[in-house]
Amino acid sequence: MTNQLAMSTAPHSRRLPNLKVLAESALLIVLIYAVMAVVYVSVQPSALSPYAIEALLNNSLPLMLAAAGATFVILQGGFDLSVAGIISLVNVVIAVMPVDGPLGALANLGVALSIGIAVGAVNGFLVAGLRIQAIAATLATMIVCQGAALLILGAPGGYVPDFMVYDLTGSVFGVPVALVIILAVIALWSLYRRTDAGRNLLAVGQDRKAAGLSGINVERTEFFSFVWAGAFYALAAYMLAAQTSTGSPSAGEPFLLLSFAAVALGGTAFGGGRGGVTASLFGAATLTLMQKVLFALGVSSFYTGVIQGLIMILAVLFAAAVRYAVRSRRVA
Amino acid sequence: MTGPHPAAELSDTAAKDTRTAQKVSSTTVAVLAIYGLVAVLILASRAVSPSLGGLSQIETVFYLSAFLVFCAFGQGLVILVRGLDLSIASMITLGAILSTTLMGGSNDGLLYLVPAILLVCAMVGVVSGIGITFFAIPPFIMTMAVGIIVYSLCLGVTGGTPRGFPSPMLREFMQDRFVGIPSPVWLLGLFVILGTVLQGYSSLGRKLTAVGNNPAAAHVAGLSARRLTILAYAISAACAGFTGILLAAYSNGATLRMGDAYLLPSIAAVVVGGSSILGGRGSFLGTVGGALLLTTLSTILSALGIGQGWKTITEGLVILAALILLRDEVFTALQTRFRRTA
Repeated sequence: MTNQLAMSTAPHSRRLPNLKVLAESALLIVLIYAVMAVVYVSVQPSALSPYAIEALLNNSLPLMLAAAGATFVILQGGFDLSVAGIISLVNVVIAVMPVDGPLGALANLGVALSIGIAVGAVNGFLVAGLRIQAIAATLATMIVCQGAALLILGAPGGYVPDFMVYDLTGSVFGVPVALVIILAVIALWSLYRRTDAGRNLLAVGQDRKAAGLSGINVERTEFFSFVWAGAFYALAAYMLAAQTSTGSPSAGEPFLLLSFAAVALGGTAFGGGRGGVTASLFGAATLTLMQKVLFALGVSSFYTGVIQGLIMILAVLFAAAVRYAVRSRRVA
Repeated sequence: MTGPHPAAELSDTAAKDTRTAQKVSSTTVAVLAIYGLVAVLILASRAVSPSLGGLSQIETVFYLSAFLVFCAFGQGLVILVRGLDLSIASMITLGAILSTTLMGGSNDGLLYLVPAILLVCAMVGVVSGIGITFFAIPPFIMTMAVGIIVYSLCLGVTGGTPRGFPSPMLREFMQDRFVGIPSPVWLLGLFVILGTVLQGYSSLGRKLTAVGNNPAAAHVAGLSARRLTILAYAISAACAGFTGILLAAYSNGATLRMGDAYLLPSIAAVVVGGSSILGGRGSFLGTVGGALLLTTLSTILSALGIGQGWKTITEGLVILAALILLRDEVFTALQTRFRRTA
């Protein structure tokens, strides 16, 4: 499956290196992000100060991590709505944990990841084991998680360790912690996609039947995509708690649609088989930056949604147009 | 490749496909099982509170589920053609705001305003459909973006606080009774009959199913997959607008967040009702059953007086239980078991 794919694309990539790379990798969304950043800096020069950059990265990080998680499931052709539930649940659990200091932050991280992985495993079992439609199964787990979040913390509040609030949102040796995390995720993904598990993920998304026939354990691949997703959602909730320094039982709701928008902006195909985590990271960052640009441009806050929606459509169209141009040149 | 194959119904002379017959019966069993579950829930609710489990509760369930059924019908058609409509919440809000501002608490023009509002909503659906079919934008992104745009326009034009009132006639209609049954329940009955015929027994419904089953095959068979898909989105948007008009009449005014409570339930109702989220398979009666199940559950849970947290958890677990019980595998297992004993 993957061999065949590599064979069919290899000769063309020599002939059309730039366009080809542009269409199939994260470069396209990085380009869109860069253009938007230039617009942002030109209307608001103060955006280049270290503090502003740090704040922008911190604001973008939770959505970026959530989108990274969603990508794992979407790449194998699945769908995961539990993102909203897991983020809300982990967010309130962190807010009620009576711990403090660096060790407390570590304990929080451990608990957060355990919850995310556990819910992800339940999703994986329901979808891969019981063969329930992914969107329905994860809708149910999302609702259960939201209910559990309400039980744990009925109203926004709670306490987040100072170490998380100040140190994890600050800088180490002049490098923002958020940037370190983003680079780590990119590194992790570029390693993972080269492993058997990573290749299987894409192969299952491209053609489930063919992947199964060629010896890939489809169920296992599906299951672990949900586990990875759960872990990333938990990380997103963890960084969200650090950034807002509080917990809220509805913290995850805004992430539901935005994380999918981010994945789509990054060019990852719904239905699976094409795309990657790095592209989704930039898709999410673009969404956050877009809000800042609109605010800086002085667009009435009532109407920002109109422009946000239009830009989402245009960005997807632009990416599709470039891909189409590449494909038609390849045929010619 | 589940469900009736489009090619099979095009050639009447072909040998009878027994697999189709078997599939239909398993779908029927699934639909019956949902209604059974609803009945059991209603009867069991007597144990919760003496005021429940009676005719008045059944009436309430039908009344409240009507709103969900109206918008879930459109969602079901969109899902049937392999799509998803996330603009439903905004379209409900749009329908409600248009009806209160345009009617302004008077009955004048009711006869042309309602169709006009539905037409406006349908046009928005056409825009979504065109983006999805002709520009190949993923349905998820297109309908979400359109939803955000419509919501933002509603927010901007009304300045955050929608004014106006629905027509008094509509308001009365929502409160009236006809032969002892609330008029909206009659409307629900009519809608369910029309919807079932349209989706399950009309040529349009069969065409939509064919497109959802296999767009390429449908195209070869001479169907315009694009036009049919756009039509599905238009119907969905109009249904959501219709829900909005009735919701505004029910609560005597419009609010901006009015539709939010219906987006995920509309998807849940369709999927719990046995439709495949991948398209090509589904029955409207199943969706209606799903909507009744969700509404029954929430009325019982409200009557229990438990906290919102437990209420939400129970809701999620019951949806999950329904999904696990209503799987194809369960029916196949039951079928073989019965065949063995027979």
